Amino acid sequence: MADQATDHAQQSAPRERRAFPWLIGARRGGLLTAAALALIGIVFGWQAALLDLGHVGLPGPGFFPLALSLVLVVFSAAIALEGWLSSAKESAKDEPLEFGHPQVLIAFAALLAVPILFEPLGGLIALGLMTAVLLVFLARVPPLLAIVWSALGMAASWYLFGELLGVRLPIGPF
Amino acid sequence: MTGFDQLVRGFAIALSWKGLLYCFIGCLWGTIVGVLPGLGPLAGMTLLLPLTFGLDPTIGIIMLTGIFYGAMYGGSTTSILVRIPGEAASVVTCIDGYEMARQGRAGPALMISAVGSFIGGTVSVLGLMFIAPPLAKVMIAIGPSVEVVLMLLALFVISVVSAGSRIKTATMVVLGLLLGTIGLDNLTGAPRFTFGSPELSGGLSFAALAIGLFGLSEILINLEKTETIKAIQPKLRDLIPRWNDMRDSAPAVARGSVIGFIFGIIPGVSHVVSTFVSYAVEKRLSKHPEQFGKGAIAGVAGPETANNAVTGTAMIPLLALGIPSIPATALLLSALTIHGVQPGPLLLTDRPEVFWGLVASMYIGNIILLALNLPLVGIFVNLLRIPYPWLVTAILVVSIIGVYSVNSSSIDIWITVISGGVGYVLRKFGYEMAPLLLALVLGDRLEANFRLALTMSGGSYATFLDTASIVVLGSVLALLLLVQALAWAFGYRKSFADDAERA
Repeated sequence: MADQATDHAQQSAPRERRAFPWLIGARRGGLLTAAALALIGIVFGWQAALLDLGHVGLPGPGFFPLALSLVLVVFSAAIALEGWLSSAKESAKDEPLEFGHPQVLIAFAALLAVPILFEPLGGLIALGLMTAVLLVFLARVPPLLAIVWSALGMAASWYLFGELLGVRLPIGPF
Repeated sequence: MTGFDQLVRGFAIALSWKGLLYCFIGCLWGTIVGVLPGLGPLAGMTLLLPLTFGLDPTIGIIMLTGIFYGAMYGGSTTSILVRIPGEAASVVTCIDGYEMARQGRAGPALMISAVGSFIGGTVSVLGLMFIAPPLAKVMIAIGPSVEVVLMLLALFVISVVSAGSRIKTATMVVLGLLLGTIGLDNLTGAPRFTFGSPELSGGLSFAALAIGLFGLSEILINLEKTETIKAIQPKLRDLIPRWNDMRDSAPAVARGSVIGFIFGIIPGVSHVVSTFVSYAVEKRLSKHPEQFGKGAIAGVAGPETANNAVTGTAMIPLLALGIPSIPATALLLSALTIHGVQPGPLLLTDRPEVFWGLVASMYIGNIILLALNLPLVGIFVNLLRIPYPWLVTAILVVSIIGVYSVNSSSIDIWITVISGGVGYVLRKFGYEMAPLLLALVLGDRLEANFRLALTMSGGSYATFLDTASIVVLGSVLALLLLVQALAWAFGYRKSFADDAERA
């Protein structure tokens, strides 16, 4: 029975797909990155075209960014072309790259929360929350202990930055 | 006042109790950030930037520069004892340094690395002292058109000497220049890409972008790794190298000093590239190349000397021309600007105490580092016992407060977080962040000088091809060709790939 269960697990293993991390082919990802860079170029170019361009002999504020946007689009196209040509070679391997490890996602989500909460809750509370989350999910510290450590850390930050270095952080509603 | 008098005055500043204290703090913090993976000199300098706000500019810059060269020292410790480069410039040291440590010879590797770093650092400060003043005098005489040519060349060189894909590096340069246009136009005051936000009218904060693109992206990449760190603990009495070690290291140290000195002037990733070139040179010239990779002491001495020899010469373009050549000096430029000091040719005449105080402090800092690193190596290595998630949490808290403190703006925290995510993705796909940051710093002045030169010449582009421009162009291209020839002769590109793979 146990053997059957093991066999079943082994048979189903290849079908099992983990949610994280995602695997993206280096070439496919490279093309996507090049497209994103080209998009940045297009947006900047469009906005720059709305500014005063001046003329070739006497450029205005829009001239330089417009020229750079065009170069960015051209370079991005060159990167995409390079990637596409290399994928056409039969000998070339498309090594997969891993993205979105759970630890990376947790850290990034905690970081994203900081600027959102920094002004409304106050700098130290926002950072304290981030510290507690990182200690619980990355360092595997029990929640209560994480809160204590985070409070101690914030007290130390307040003393070091606020008192010794004179850095004034937002105080939120307090 | 002669140069010697100025140097004596510089030593008076550097040897004052404040000068010594802040130089020591900079060197100590630099060693710590060099040891800790995920924190390089750039992040280390940004974190302590707020501490300099209440200080005299000379003392503040002495401390920040101490972090820069201190990190170069610290990076070698973890490369040798743990096989983890604390800093990008120490990657090559992992190869033979760690092998030596495994064979029970960590002490000599650390000692030779520290002594080589001291010699390389001191040689480069001598270069800074003798080259920067005459170069600044030449720069005063030239106009905005030559400055444009010089900056374009610097950006071109960054793209050419880069170890990765040239087209990707060039794209990062263009993206950096484009991001540099955000904010009020220097000449007309017209807002560009600010979308009505007053916080963006001053442009993107360099510190916020630097911490995000370098520090945060590095942390995110490191979080993917789950290896536990096992450090080899050296004993103090084992530090003394044998006669053979000294004999084998001496020529490598001499060559490393020269290589680092030359590469320090080249913009881009010179401190990293110089170590690979030095390693390739030592391997090529060695009578026993088969020992490289198996614990050859010349493979530690050369690269470690080279990466420290870069620190002084990397300051030459910053202080004499106002053009940073590596991201760390770009941050120094930002710090000086915050203090109201404009690096460039006029620095030596307008604020000589800043230049000479810094030069003097670099001599003293190298001695402090030598005295600090060898006896305390055990303590520094113990820092690696701190579990990485705890370390990351502390680094993130300090980074965010540091970024906020520069402009007291939450927008800067957004910029840091977003650029950290973008940097993580871009680095995964082989894009380098250093060219982007250098272009960002240079972009503003490049555009202003470009438009100023055209206005002065009545719209004639021939102004960019006057005699002075051609001389500058020719000199830089000759230097570039020389470096390329050296790199080619010693098989740099191939060895870079091979050695990086092995490290």
